Amino acid sequence: MRGALWVCERDIRKFIRQPFVMVSALVGPFLMLILLGSAFGGSITHVPIAVVRESEGQFSSTYLDIVRDQQNCAFGGVSCGDAFRLKDVPSLDQAEQMLRQGQVKAAIYIPRGLDNSLSNSINVAITVYLDNTDPLSAAAVSAGLTRAAQQLSTQVRVISAHDPTVTLDTANFYRNVFYIEFMAPGSLVQAIFIASIIGGGISILFDKQRGILEGYLVTPLKQYEIVIGVLLAGVIKAMFSALTMLFLAIVVAGVRPMADATNFVLLLFTLFLTALGLISMMTAFAVRAPAPEVYQFTSFPINLVLYFTSGAIYPIDGFPDWMRQMSVLNPEAYAVHALRLLMYKGASFGAVAIDFAFLAAFTAIMVVIATLAFKRAL
Amino acid sequence: MDAAVQTINITKRFGDLTAIDQINLTIDAQEIFGLVGPNGAGKTTLIRMLTTVLQPTEGTAKVAGSDIRRSPNKVRQRIGVVSQAMTLDVELTAWENMELYAKYYSVPNPERRERIKELLGVVGLLERADFTVGSYSGGMKRRLELVRSLVHRPKVLFLDEPTTGLDPQARNAVWDYLRKIHNEQKITIAITTHYLDEAEALCDRVAIVDFGKLVALGTPAELKKKVMGGDVIEAEFTALPDEAFEALKDSDFTIQIGRRDSSLTLLVKNGAEAVPKVVELVNAKSGKISSITLRQPTLDDVFLHFTGRSIREDTAVTRKRFVSSWEGMRR
Repeated sequence: MRGALWVCERDIRKFIRQPFVMVSALVGPFLMLILLGSAFGGSITHVPIAVVRESEGQFSSTYLDIVRDQQNCAFGGVSCGDAFRLKDVPSLDQAEQMLRQGQVKAAIYIPRGLDNSLSNSINVAITVYLDNTDPLSAAAVSAGLTRAAQQLSTQVRVISAHDPTVTLDTANFYRNVFYIEFMAPGSLVQAIFIASIIGGGISILFDKQRGILEGYLVTPLKQYEIVIGVLLAGVIKAMFSALTMLFLAIVVAGVRPMADATNFVLLLFTLFLTALGLISMMTAFAVRAPAPEVYQFTSFPINLVLYFTSGAIYPIDGFPDWMRQMSVLNPEAYAVHALRLLMYKGASFGAVAIDFAFLAAFTAIMVVIATLAFKRAL
Repeated sequence: MDAAVQTINITKRFGDLTAIDQINLTIDAQEIFGLVGPNGAGKTTLIRMLTTVLQPTEGTAKVAGSDIRRSPNKVRQRIGVVSQAMTLDVELTAWENMELYAKYYSVPNPERRERIKELLGVVGLLERADFTVGSYSGGMKRRLELVRSLVHRPKVLFLDEPTTGLDPQARNAVWDYLRKIHNEQKITIAITTHYLDEAEALCDRVAIVDFGKLVALGTPAELKKKVMGGDVIEAEFTALPDEAFEALKDSDFTIQIGRRDSSLTLLVKNGAEAVPKVVELVNAKSGKISSITLRQPTLDDVFLHFTGRSIREDTAVTRKRFVSSWEGMRR
């Protein structure tokens, strides 16, 4: 039986000597706690909503004030924020366009004659159009606006001594999008990232260790050819991985993206930009990592941070401020945003232009860094 | 015919360490040239410079007609390299490994296919061409690496420790294939090794490198003659009094003598005549010989002579003090 002790001792000694294993054993779960806890525990705030007002009276103003004053709190009331951000829009057409382009998550329509009707004790309805491709935000909007409608009813009764009611009609702007569909774009991006850890970085690490990278140097291949070749292979592997994930999402998970040729081309382009950027980033990291373990044990936490702050599993509106700021710099956030628009909203190029611009800039910078890092490592 | 390789004061320093120190040597076209030295002597550094992977700190070299500093790409096109590390892709078949290399060197297709077929045939791997390399034995992998470096018909083939880690049988096979390749492909071969028997068996000429310096250069026979001019007697003792050792050391037939525990190694002018004299002398001083052998000097003896150490002791970096240049011999 004492033999077991020695075997155990060996493992423990090795564990203590290997700081990266220790750190990653702690960092991973801790990041999960903080990021997941903050994402899901945070309440949804600052949801942008377009307001189309065709009635300018006191009651509708009161309604909008109630909506504006709504607070959503998280962590037992420690952190609160305005639930909604209202933007006045002149026409329903324009509101619809903003909704389609992902600039707002909902549009409130206050119909003509609402104030008149209420003054005359006639029941009224306010309509809200919801971007239901984001089911969590949509639920928050619909709950908040319903609450506001009830409060308005109460106030109207106090003033007028009659009892007209204000109801809220919710209209889903899109077909019913399930949560699993909401998550799917993030899974495509994660498939790319994991392919770039394994197919990109780790295979380069092995090649470097085994002397294969040096082996290239005695051939007439140019350095830039080697770099481009490695990145290109990484992109192909990552695209394959992402498209397989898309196929599985459609066939197994019941995800129903819009069948539209232009959108599909834009989707492919999004995946390509994302893949090239992430592959370049991980390649630069792999060739410059001080030890293979550093790369292997750090790429997992990097994946967690990028994935959870990308809005892949929970709307960014629900993040605490520090996490929202992280997502501003997170390329995966832009990829997820663009993919969601393209898959469920049938967005045009104009809607994803900002995402493309960020992804293109990120990718260009990463390709340059990877090229320089790789050349020095060769 | 021009020299295949000519180094001019080639030097490589890593910080304070001078890995290669002002080496001048010439490798003739179509010879098999051996770079011999213990681990850490600088052989690999020299090869890495000659194959354009490393830039020399000083000096330069002409390889296959081009300067390694001025036109490394021309050099690369004309050399083949088999590095110390196994760099085959084990997931791919032998054919695929060959094909990719041929593509790196822009060998066009009808020729590419024929060349691969021919080369796999040379090393007896044609039948296994479509097997993944992962299923190959160590010897087969080495053979494949050997011919992979020849797809583009290089003028000079560099091999860095080609048989390290192989069992004796596989080593012998690699030697045979190297000789065959040398004969059939009309190629210059430069090989580094720390196996002296390998250098002796394969090489037309040998350069001994130690601490980054060229210490000796010549054919194995020349080197042996230059140093020794005699035979080697090895004797094991059950009793070896100091007087016996002194008497042997002072005798007129002994050129050099080395002692290690209960065994002696003597370099003598004429072995056949010296053996009975040794026995006689030892007996006279009441010593007792348990075995005695006479042999031709080997490159081990040459190496020992030039560097003061046996090549097999992995003491390349720490110099020891030696009583005689033969002390510390392990045999």
